[in-house]
Amino acid sequence: MKIEELNRESEMLYSGHNACPGCGAALAVRYLTRALGPNLVLVLTASCWSIISGMPPLTALKCPILHCPFPSAGSVGSGVKRGLNAKGKHDTTVVVLAGDGGTFDIGLQALSGAAQRNEDYIFICYDNEAYMNTGMQTSSATPFGARTATAPYPLFKAGQKKDIMQIMAAHGIPYAATATVAYPEDMEIKLKKAKEISGFRFIHILSPCPPGWGTESSDTIQLSRLAVNTGFFPLYEIRNGVSWEMTWMPERTRTPLTEYLSRQRRFNQMDELRVQALQEEVDHDWDCLMERVGASEKCD
Amino acid sequence: MLPEVIKEEICFSCGKEPSSANKTGEWRFLTPEKGSRLSPCRQGCLLNGEIPVWLEAVKNGKWEEAWQIVSSYNPFPALTGHVCFHPCTENCNRGQLDQSIEIDAVERAIGEWRLRNYKRQDKPKGISGKAAVVGSGPAGLSCAYYLNEAGYIVTVFEREKVIGGMFALGIPEYRLPRRILKKEIDVLKEEGIKFISGCNIGKDVQLSELYEEYGNVFLAPGAWKPRKAGIPGEEYSGVWNALDFLSLVNSGQPPAIEDPVVVIGGGNAAVDSARCALRMNGVNHVKLIYRRSRVEMPANQTEVEAAEHEGVELVFNALPREIEKGNSYVKTVIFDHCKTNREGLTVDQSRSFKENCGTVIMALGQEIDLSVFGKLEKEAIIFAGGDLVSGPATVPEAIRAGRIAAMTIIARSSGLPEPELMLPVEDPVAFEDLNLEAKINLSLQQKQAEPNEEAGRCLGCGTCNSCGICYIFCPDMAVEIVGNRYQINMDYCKGCGICVQECPAQAMLMEGGR
Amino acid sequence: MSFELISGSQAAAIAVQRVGVDFVAAYPITPQTAIVETLANFDAKGELGGEFVSVESEYAALASCYGASASGARVFTATASHGLAYMHEIIHWCSGARVPIVMVNVNRTIGAPWSLDPDQGDSLSQRDTGWMQIYCSNAQEVFDTVLQAYALSEELLLPCMVVFDGFYVSHTYEAVDVAEKEDVRNLIGAPIFQAQVQPGTPGNMHALTTGENQMLLIKNRHETMLRAPAVFEDINKRYEEIFGRSYKVIDCVIPPGAKTVILAAGSTSETVRWSLPQLNNVGLIQLRMFRPFPADQLCSVIEAHDVEKVVVVDRNCSTGMGGIFAQELRAALYGVEKPPAVQDMVLAGGVDLTLQMLENMLDSGPVENRVEEKWGVDLL
Repeated sequence: MKIEELNRESEMLYSGHNACPGCGAALAVRYLTRALGPNLVLVLTASCWSIISGMPPLTALKCPILHCPFPSAGSVGSGVKRGLNAKGKHDTTVVVLAGDGGTFDIGLQALSGAAQRNEDYIFICYDNEAYMNTGMQTSSATPFGARTATAPYPLFKAGQKKDIMQIMAAHGIPYAATATVAYPEDMEIKLKKAKEISGFRFIHILSPCPPGWGTESSDTIQLSRLAVNTGFFPLYEIRNGVSWEMTWMPERTRTPLTEYLSRQRRFNQMDELRVQALQEEVDHDWDCLMERVGASEKCD
Repeated sequence: MLPEVIKEEICFSCGKEPSSANKTGEWRFLTPEKGSRLSPCRQGCLLNGEIPVWLEAVKNGKWEEAWQIVSSYNPFPALTGHVCFHPCTENCNRGQLDQSIEIDAVERAIGEWRLRNYKRQDKPKGISGKAAVVGSGPAGLSCAYYLNEAGYIVTVFEREKVIGGMFALGIPEYRLPRRILKKEIDVLKEEGIKFISGCNIGKDVQLSELYEEYGNVFLAPGAWKPRKAGIPGEEYSGVWNALDFLSLVNSGQPPAIEDPVVVIGGGNAAVDSARCALRMNGVNHVKLIYRRSRVEMPANQTEVEAAEHEGVELVFNALPREIEKGNSYVKTVIFDHCKTNREGLTVDQSRSFKENCGTVIMALGQEIDLSVFGKLEKEAIIFAGGDLVSGPATVPEAIRAGRIAAMTIIARSSGLPEPELMLPVEDPVAFEDLNLEAKINLSLQQKQAEPNEEAGRCLGCGTCNSCGICYIFCPDMAVEIVGNRYQINMDYCKGCGICVQECPAQAMLMEGGR
Repeated sequence: MSFELISGSQAAAIAVQRVGVDFVAAYPITPQTAIVETLANFDAKGELGGEFVSVESEYAALASCYGASASGARVFTATASHGLAYMHEIIHWCSGARVPIVMVNVNRTIGAPWSLDPDQGDSLSQRDTGWMQIYCSNAQEVFDTVLQAYALSEELLLPCMVVFDGFYVSHTYEAVDVAEKEDVRNLIGAPIFQAQVQPGTPGNMHALTTGENQMLLIKNRHETMLRAPAVFEDINKRYEEIFGRSYKVIDCVIPPGAKTVILAAGSTSETVRWSLPQLNNVGLIQLRMFRPFPADQLCSVIEAHDVEKVVVVDRNCSTGMGGIFAQELRAALYGVEKPPAVQDMVLAGGVDLTLQMLENMLDSGPVENRVEEKWGVDLL
């Protein structure tokens, strides 16, 4: 990303939208619309962005947005792409934008069906790790140990965060990648790469949420960075479901998870044993990821 | 065209107006303020120079702009770039990452650019007046420059035949190449400043005459009176005071001296003398003997190391007691061991030694001597600055004094506010405060040869250097690009604080209120 | 004219092929599977014209139709029973989004327990969703109605459901005039309705809005749908010219002097029609367009013939209220000067209608309870 090349004309996001101050999702959509626009159509399912997009007569984006019901993102996207093709608009990029709820939970069926059919669009999940729009309730993307509105203290989210990337890999789609807002160049490279590929593409963007995670609004980028540096949210790409490649590696060792957890009130008063369990889970997942990456290198 | 069935006036199911109609700036209760915070380089700079600002200009290849910024407080970057001991570089935060920026090298480059591209320009006609400057050292030349810029007709009176004061006579060639000094002085002459050399104020012209004739007078003769040790033998021939020695060497008339050479003293003049002596024909052994320890030496340690590297032998904790005369040249200096303690210096005469030498150079410092000017008959307002006022100090401090005097003179005759004397006292931006993790545009390279590349390594501590991080990370598109600068649009800024936290240079603060 | 011996399901599929669709979303459910299979066969022969996609659920089927239609494509899907119920959220969404979609629903009881017989409760449960609904009684009607539904839907920008009974219509083979593509093009050509999704033009479509705006949208939808009978009449004028057949929103066969009429929708209306000669001076009102409910047309027919009793055949029951057609008729008759007695023949569960049952119903006289309801099981 060259600073000299930045200009407001290529940006698709208007100021004046209703995202909370410091919203990671607003930044994520700003980056993805800039990278994939201007010939872009967004299919948007129920999520924070349904509201951030504005109330008519206002709109927060320069590209057309088609809202759809909660579970239907993957299916409506299929229809839009095929409809546009039928109208001769083959070059338009179709992006389906869903939150973690609309991807991991209620939207999983539609996602799986579309992925299996290798529908020709980019499915982008901006993940703030709970149903934030409705008040921070638990989703299957909520990390183990976190408190939410439906798992308030002394309760906590039991069960691991669903590994959506492995699910997408299992579908054998041409391209899947993780990204987050603290690494905008990495995200832009991946999005532009995805744009050139046909078939089903999936991008998982970690989007910190200050009110939902209990953090300072100014901390969004730093949290994003720590999520990557601790190995909690590694940055990588998967091609055709079998070839795994890291796009970021720690310089020496990964930062201890406590540095990431201690900045977020949703992890307050977390039992030491649980913190340890979460650290072990992150370590284990990292090792498994490294194995897959290593195995891919051998095959290449 | 909308289909007939949906009447246009009630089709509210589709939004087409940009949300920029919604001024989210009203949400704010904290506001990011872009300002300039104190950088450690600036904190160390005796001229309070805006170093990160001109480094950025050089980085962008904007030499004219860089010159404008530097010359607003220092007219001679080509000279200070050579001789200043650069506390800026010592404080530089980049040193904690890889290597400090070679700020003096970039400063030199600005000065040299200016000398290469100098074109005389007409001065503003607003102020007309005359001024006399006594002394053509750093303070005098600086004052002359700023007065000239404002439109005054300036005459500089110099006692010696050569122009430049400390620049010319105190600092050796290997520290300040004379051809650069000559170019600077030529530019000053080109600018219309008149130099009268070989004219001794107090002897050839009286101070009161000067005041009558010019009205505005700035005294900057420096502190040239050498301090004496007060030991027997000090007046023998072959015993030099450092400044006389250096003056002769630097004006191209090095005196004849005999090997071996003993330099007594621990300041910059002592080190300069030692290094000059070693460079002279026939001199192979130079010892520098100081009455205190190495760490207590007032001389700049880089110079001391250089001297050592060149072969000067350093001896500490020795106080001269007597100089014994030899044939036509001095033969022996008797030293006693001494030590610094709470009471001062304790001398142990039982532990003494003798140094046989051909030449002794006494470098015990200088003193101010106002008596040369005699008495004034009438009441007069005379400005003074530099070593005359502070005692022996540094070139940048003298330059600053000259500028302040000039600005004060200008202010008093034009009714403008007088210059700010206070130096900033806030804490500078520390290395730990910087946010280097963003890494966009952070050129992670070691010292670079080209000035603009070296300047590009500056982290801009506390000063916006237009890296664009605030623009990149704003979720509300509330950062406008104006030219190559970034401005926060307060109509939309929600006060989230991401820009303040992520700014690599930490050039912003969150302030309360809207 | 081009006759083929086909079932109701095949007729629906052929009509879709004739009209030329861009996109078909397919998910199987008894008794609709022949529809998607027939379309698949067209696709295999390269005769479909558009894309045929097997999706992972009925919800996905209608959702992808919504997306495609919003992008300007002509779409089709079909379902029944549980599939329709699964789509419920999207069914609402489509009418609110004002996208033209034609969907076939083959009536089948919704469990529990599992059942395959043609209770009409599945389509009737969706009567409040803002879709037009037209009920067909035989395969020819199915063919013609599907074609007309496209014209109707794309004219009004409201989705339309074409409904017929499972097995009785879907699996019964008849000789059907299936027309040629060129003839159909005279009725309806390529889709010209404006796509909502216009790449390059900003548009925040169907985003959150205020109650006031919502009311205006609903009002517009409601008023638009009430224009359907008039538009339907225009379409059928053209249909008559091209194909020599036409339909009305309600189709009446009332012998002069008949004081009793039977109101029926779907295959039961055909049973009644064939039984009329054996019944004593009884008429038939075949209810075809159910949404919008043809209140004016029904009232004027009933008044014109001075009808004293209407027997409504309801192959459905809204638990806690009773047969749905009877309810709607009673509501429509409110305020009429001499309202007829309305008796409700409830055949919920999709029970077969026989002549004997009709005779028993007509002979049974007034019913004691207020709702005048008689269940099919009691009429055997």
